[in-house]
Amino acid sequence: MAAVSPVTATTAASLTLPQLTSSSSSPFTLNFKTDTLSSRCVRCGVRSLENQSGHRSLDFLSSGDPISLINPNSSSSPISMAASASESGAKCSKRVCLFHSDETRDLAERIVSQSDCIELRSINWKKFDDGFPNLFIQNAQGIRGQHVAFLASFSSPAVIFEQLSVIYALPKLFVSSFTLVLPFFPTGTSERMEDEGDVATAFTLARILSNIPTSRGGPTSLVTFDIHALQERFYFGDTILPCFESGIPLLKNRLQALPDSDNISIAFPDDGAWKRFHKQLQHYPTIVCNKVRMGDKRIVRIKEGDAEGRHVVIVDDLVQSGGTLIECQKVLAAHGAAKISAYVTHGIFPKSSWKRFKLDTKGDPAEGLSYFWITDSCGLTVKEVMNKPPFEVLSLAGTIASALQV
Amino acid sequence: MSENAANSIMETKICKDAIVSELQKKKVHLFYCLECEELARNIAAESDHITLQSINWRSFADGFPNLFINNAHEIRGQHVAFLASFSSPAVIFEQISVIYLLPRLFVASFTLVLPFFPTGSFERMEEEGDVATAFTMARIVSNIPISRGGPTSVVIYDIHALQERFYFADQVLPLFETGIPLLTKRLQQLPESEKIIVAFPDDGAWKRFHKLLDQYSTVVCTKVREGDKRIVRLKEGNPSGCHVVIVDDLVQSGGTLIECQKVLAAHGAAKVSAYVTHGVFPNSSWDRFTHKNNGVEEAFAYFWITDSCPQTVKAIGNKAPFEVLSLAGSIADALQI
Repeated sequence: MAAVSPVTATTAASLTLPQLTSSSSSPFTLNFKTDTLSSRCVRCGVRSLENQSGHRSLDFLSSGDPISLINPNSSSSPISMAASASESGAKCSKRVCLFHSDETRDLAERIVSQSDCIELRSINWKKFDDGFPNLFIQNAQGIRGQHVAFLASFSSPAVIFEQLSVIYALPKLFVSSFTLVLPFFPTGTSERMEDEGDVATAFTLARILSNIPTSRGGPTSLVTFDIHALQERFYFGDTILPCFESGIPLLKNRLQALPDSDNISIAFPDDGAWKRFHKQLQHYPTIVCNKVRMGDKRIVRIKEGDAEGRHVVIVDDLVQSGGTLIECQKVLAAHGAAKISAYVTHGIFPKSSWKRFKLDTKGDPAEGLSYFWITDSCGLTVKEVMNKPPFEVLSLAGTIASALQV
Repeated sequence: MSENAANSIMETKICKDAIVSELQKKKVHLFYCLECEELARNIAAESDHITLQSINWRSFADGFPNLFINNAHEIRGQHVAFLASFSSPAVIFEQISVIYLLPRLFVASFTLVLPFFPTGSFERMEEEGDVATAFTMARIVSNIPISRGGPTSVVIYDIHALQERFYFADQVLPLFETGIPLLTKRLQQLPESEKIIVAFPDDGAWKRFHKLLDQYSTVVCTKVREGDKRIVRLKEGNPSGCHVVIVDDLVQSGGTLIECQKVLAAHGAAKVSAYVTHGVFPNSSWDRFTHKNNGVEEAFAYFWITDSCPQTVKAIGNKAPFEVLSLAGSIADALQI
């Protein structure tokens, strides 16, 4: 019996999917349904099957108590409903109308449930016969004088144009400000500008976004998480205000909740990852790997740090085929790591490459991971890996909700 | 020879050289998207001054483009053009990446040839909330970086709505061409015994094209509302006994053309043909027009399209009544501007 849907959590905004082992004595199912979002009423049905007790359903308005972190290890206690102090009763610095693309609907709903100040809006996404988009922004006049945001996802080139059309149109509808939330900025990872003739698609994307019209609130704000190459921040012109966020705080919160939180070391698969993240993870012992050339082959080695007996968490901004992570995992296991987990902000996993990652069920870290944390920046992946250990999804919803108040 | 005489001979020679080089055409290096390879080859075949260049079009595992422009150094100081085709949203991003890069490779000038400018045909900005994708497309094109040759020239054939020409910002120089000369040339080849007249399916088409076809008598159709239905009617002109050529900028499902043909036939047209610059034909709707050879009288004698939509040209091949009139010569000339 598996837990079903994701559940939004506290200010930590982590969305933990309960891990059920076969020995669990009280499996429970958790249903999370958002009904009509205009009323922002969140319904949570909890059934405890242990003693066949009746259904316990909790209705509560999101203005009151957000759902707390579900603790998968306390199998006999009821769900605790800790009200989040900073969320309840907080006044809105600004009310925001949040539009979203088709793919990002789930994340948009989570964001809206995190905050009283954010309202979900909708767009009709249709196509003409020739394949080009036929778009309509509902209640366009109703957003005049409002702060407006759009939650985008450029998971493939095919979906860019339709979202871009909306992104270019919204700022001109007399809104008081416009924010583009693009959790994952694609294209920046595989290319190397080495030869004249290499075409920088990351720069193309930045250029396209820098051309978003200004609204009455001035330049558009762009919220993005863990952008791949640090220099990409300079690709944006002055017509846009990039706001660079990170998913690492979600990881830190999650690590603190682990039973072996005092035995954790962080491993970086290369110097690039170390540069990006070591300052945010300073209080953990670190291990740095790198790739060395041996003849024709490239081998992952440990450059510094000690894995012996530790629960090592490999941290990187994104994962594609997973090859780098797997090589790191092998090296760390060979050096005596007791457990190995991984965190990436963006689980791209083209061609379902997430299937290469198995759960460590036998205490053999060379064969499996204890946890693989990703955020919900890549909605398509989240749908595929939900409820599949070792994967756990940490939601960006809370962080985004806060960023929208900036 | 006196110094003055020598000087004036020298000046004459310099003037002559200047005139000769003025008359010399510019050499253009033509890059192209994968879909347009055949049209690109045809353009290069029209002129000694146009050479084809190549790009490696690949994809990374995540689906995003992995592009490489071959011989990037060789195009420094040269006139460069790119032949694009935005046949679907999926292929826009890879071509835009190349289009945004080429002007910055120290080229002497940059021209974007986009024979068919999509998106402009279906949408109506009627309500606040309608999203103008044509404007988005124009904005993306207007944002092409300038090169040493100044703003990028953008060559477009028979843009759908005349006001779309104003969607382009000053950083680009749009050049609006038309395929109609190809049609008139083709019509002149038809037997003189046929009395050829031109029909416009609606007022929009008439506005766009009547000046270019004023040597022919015209028929204008219009759509009238009868209750819930919309019916095509003859507004002006008399097709009786004539070979009527319906002219429009593009065709999508073909519904409008079919309705027009019926009305014209009902009013006594001897033969009906059609010309559109852009054979968009989503979902293979061109199949409604192919001659079925089943003994039933064929509705259209000829159906002329240009090669602005390469996917259609590939699909149709040589199937009657279609004939493809190539834009290659016209584009080769436009590249000399």
